[in-house]
Amino acid sequence: MSYKDQAARALDTASKRGAGYADIRFEINRSERIEARNGVVATLSDSTSRGYGIRALADGAWGFAAGSDLSDAGIDRVAARAVDIAKAGAAIARKRIGQAPQRAYTDTFATPLLRDPHDVPLGDRVALLLAAEKALHVSPQISVGRAWMDLWTIDKFFYSTIGSAIEQRIRQTGSGMEALAVGGGDVQSRTFPGDIGLYQAGGWEIIERAHLESNAQRIAEEAVALLGAPQCPSGTFDIILGGSQVSLQIHESCGHPAELDRVMGWEANFSGVSFLEIEQLGKLKYGSDLVTIVIDNTLPEGLATVGYDDEGTKSVQSDIIRNGMLVGYEMSNDTARSIGRESNACVRAQSWEFVPMIRMCNLNLLPGNTPFENLFDDVKDGIYMESNRSWSIDDHRLNFQFGCEIAWEVKNGKRGRMLKNPTYAGVTPAFWNSCDAIGDQASWVAWGTPNCGKGEPMQTGRTAQCAAPARFRNVEVGVGYRG
Amino acid sequence: MDKAAREALAARVLKLSTADQTEVAIYSSNSGLTRFTHNAVHQNVAESDTAIKIRAIVGRRTGVAATNMLDDAALKGAVERAIAMAHLAPEDPALAQLPAGGPTVAPPGAFDQTTASATPQKRAEMCDAIFRVAEKNDYWCAGFATTSESSVTIANSNGAMASFTGTDAGVNVKMNASDSSGFAECYVNDCSEIDAHSIGERAAEKTRTSASPQTVEPGEWTVILEPAAFGELFTYIGDHFSAQAYDEGSSFLSDGLDRKYFGENVTLYDDYAHPLAPGMPFDYEGQPTRRLTLVENGVAKNVVTDSYWAKKLQRENTGHALPAPNAYGPQALHLVVAGGTKSLDQLIAETPRGLLISRFWYIRTVDQKKAIVTGMTRDGTFLIRDGKLAGGVRNMRFNQSIIDCLNACELSREQARTGSYSYSIVVPSAKISGFTFSSGTDF
Repeated sequence: MSYKDQAARALDTASKRGAGYADIRFEINRSERIEARNGVVATLSDSTSRGYGIRALADGAWGFAAGSDLSDAGIDRVAARAVDIAKAGAAIARKRIGQAPQRAYTDTFATPLLRDPHDVPLGDRVALLLAAEKALHVSPQISVGRAWMDLWTIDKFFYSTIGSAIEQRIRQTGSGMEALAVGGGDVQSRTFPGDIGLYQAGGWEIIERAHLESNAQRIAEEAVALLGAPQCPSGTFDIILGGSQVSLQIHESCGHPAELDRVMGWEANFSGVSFLEIEQLGKLKYGSDLVTIVIDNTLPEGLATVGYDDEGTKSVQSDIIRNGMLVGYEMSNDTARSIGRESNACVRAQSWEFVPMIRMCNLNLLPGNTPFENLFDDVKDGIYMESNRSWSIDDHRLNFQFGCEIAWEVKNGKRGRMLKNPTYAGVTPAFWNSCDAIGDQASWVAWGTPNCGKGEPMQTGRTAQCAAPARFRNVEVGVGYRG
Repeated sequence: MDKAAREALAARVLKLSTADQTEVAIYSSNSGLTRFTHNAVHQNVAESDTAIKIRAIVGRRTGVAATNMLDDAALKGAVERAIAMAHLAPEDPALAQLPAGGPTVAPPGAFDQTTASATPQKRAEMCDAIFRVAEKNDYWCAGFATTSESSVTIANSNGAMASFTGTDAGVNVKMNASDSSGFAECYVNDCSEIDAHSIGERAAEKTRTSASPQTVEPGEWTVILEPAAFGELFTYIGDHFSAQAYDEGSSFLSDGLDRKYFGENVTLYDDYAHPLAPGMPFDYEGQPTRRLTLVENGVAKNVVTDSYWAKKLQRENTGHALPAPNAYGPQALHLVVAGGTKSLDQLIAETPRGLLISRFWYIRTVDQKKAIVTGMTRDGTFLIRDGKLAGGVRNMRFNQSIIDCLNACELSREQARTGSYSYSIVVPSAKISGFTFSSGTDF
């Protein structure tokens, strides 16, 4: 029986049980991971998981059930369970939250890729990582070298009672490496590219784009040098952040607070609420005029790019911050309609067994017009920081403190000596309003975040925050080591 | 899938393998979670699945394949994939034999049938009890109620065959008022032990007594951490007790065992059989897990191992393997901090000036070797003046070494299980002097 036939059965069962709306999402997820560690392959795995999740809306309440039993009886059981769960919630509801999507699509989507990673022999993939990892061992002080790659293929088949029938093949690929140096009672780490690796939508070309082996010696030498580097000073400085750190800053201080479910209190007990309240829309000066942050789930290399989200809404581009002003949110069907807007297709589930919820997707800080090397101009006494090491922000997403792996002092526009343990702290709108230069298109990278946690049960989301390096004035530096 | 079916499946898959050594791990789960906000359910979910993972070892080469498709062709394909990958891996000279396992007994209370068969209606009853507390106080609440059953069978070609089924239930509540919030939680193996009304009342009490919060200056404070706050600190030093981190130099214990790292009143165990959090008596290689003293009276005594690290460091295999493939090394998954001699009320009464903290948020490591972490307070932070609670305070950020905390603490005699449905830690409350806050908030 085809997925289409099985979907028809599931949706029919849900309707007969009392669902006013239902959808089903079949997924086959294949994950391959290779990790070389200290000269051996610590991980060589290939996992496949197939199943389906059914959403049912009954009496204004949602129920979600998931299973992997594809027999008729299994499909019927899971569909009935979804409706039963919805009714259990409806029985104690003080208000109706759920609304059925209104627009149906029949379509297909496939991630564009230049070369299928599975066409690259597994032995060659292993050899690439072993070579990069070997090159990290530049000194006996390198205690751990790691190099890894992930290849993900997700096949999705989505059907709903309003007539949607959407098939998608999503391909995501990433790799990275780390050198851990130990000595003199200290531990220092350097990673590349960025702190997680380079994760994007596409194929083998993304592994090639990372250039692991040719950068291994440099980052390992930096890790060793950090052991003897002076401590980053504490005080107020102009700072320049590398692109991957700007990506993390967007993720934590714009991406999460702009999730409309969070704004509406749906995450209040766990990941928190948001200072970007609905009353602030069109009024809050979130950042300087240079700061424009947009959702673009159509960006070809964006890690979160899909044709349709997990509610069956077509991917679009939309603004969150336009020239510093708060103008939009990341939205689902329910939340968007509650403020008189339409969903901008920001709903994702980790995999078939998880309920779809608002996720960050591709949230991009548009590039400025300052070449990277000119970001240092006009900085008399500053710090340049690269690659995230520590990140923490309060449950309203205002008070943050981030740390980076490495920094260099900047004196009179020139990069100077290396500094270790850099941290910086601030309050979100004040920080983004202090942004006075953003790197140009040449330094703009589609940084992916493959491990964003949200929700209960916890789901891991794959997001992207495309960014260039940027400059911020008068920032508090060094607080993590000042106490 | 019940124990007999899992073990039969494991035996069948072992027979399919031509590898020198083969391990089969079967994971079966059935869970439900009802999540609410503004006194209404907004996410209500259930999931069931059985998945199988095959580790094939050819010589000293390893490959792992996993699938949740359990028909003969899919299982055969997964076994062949694991073996094919093993052939492509380079040799690992330190690779150990898979352990032969041994007899294990599930601790009392690890499984409860009522919890295993809990319905969404049961979870709705718990939520409704909390909604009523919120409505009575004119608050809005957010949180969840969850019940789950999970089963594991680990078998290998060296004779290990270990099976376990456990249950978990939990309730987590945040009560919200205009300028304050309060938090309470409860995690158990038997959902009938959850008194959702009382948990709601506890959260509401915190919300009420932290209303109109005052601002206090950051700096060094004496703090009293309730279990949810104190327990979270331990999630950031648990990995230091891994033989891998110990050997590779990233642990603060890398300076050596049998040395004093904490105050004499600090004793830390890994105990899968603790009555507040009974769990699986073997690890993910099927090796029986040892109940292990990690720190005794402040002196580090042990790190946890698995077959790989036991062989590499010539130490005993303590049975703390994570599922293969595992680049993180063995981990202590059942941390227990021994209680002290005083009650929480006594600790508060003996504090002239300090802060009582219900819960932390977004703790992250700032410095791995020194175990310095940063994070925020949330959902119930109170001023203590002259031994009494003197109202709520606005939230603050801290930067603090956990090692320093454990050298300057008094512990309550009452312990509680904290964490969530995915991990558990048993800890007392802790009074800590010289706890450093670096900034504040307006809420």
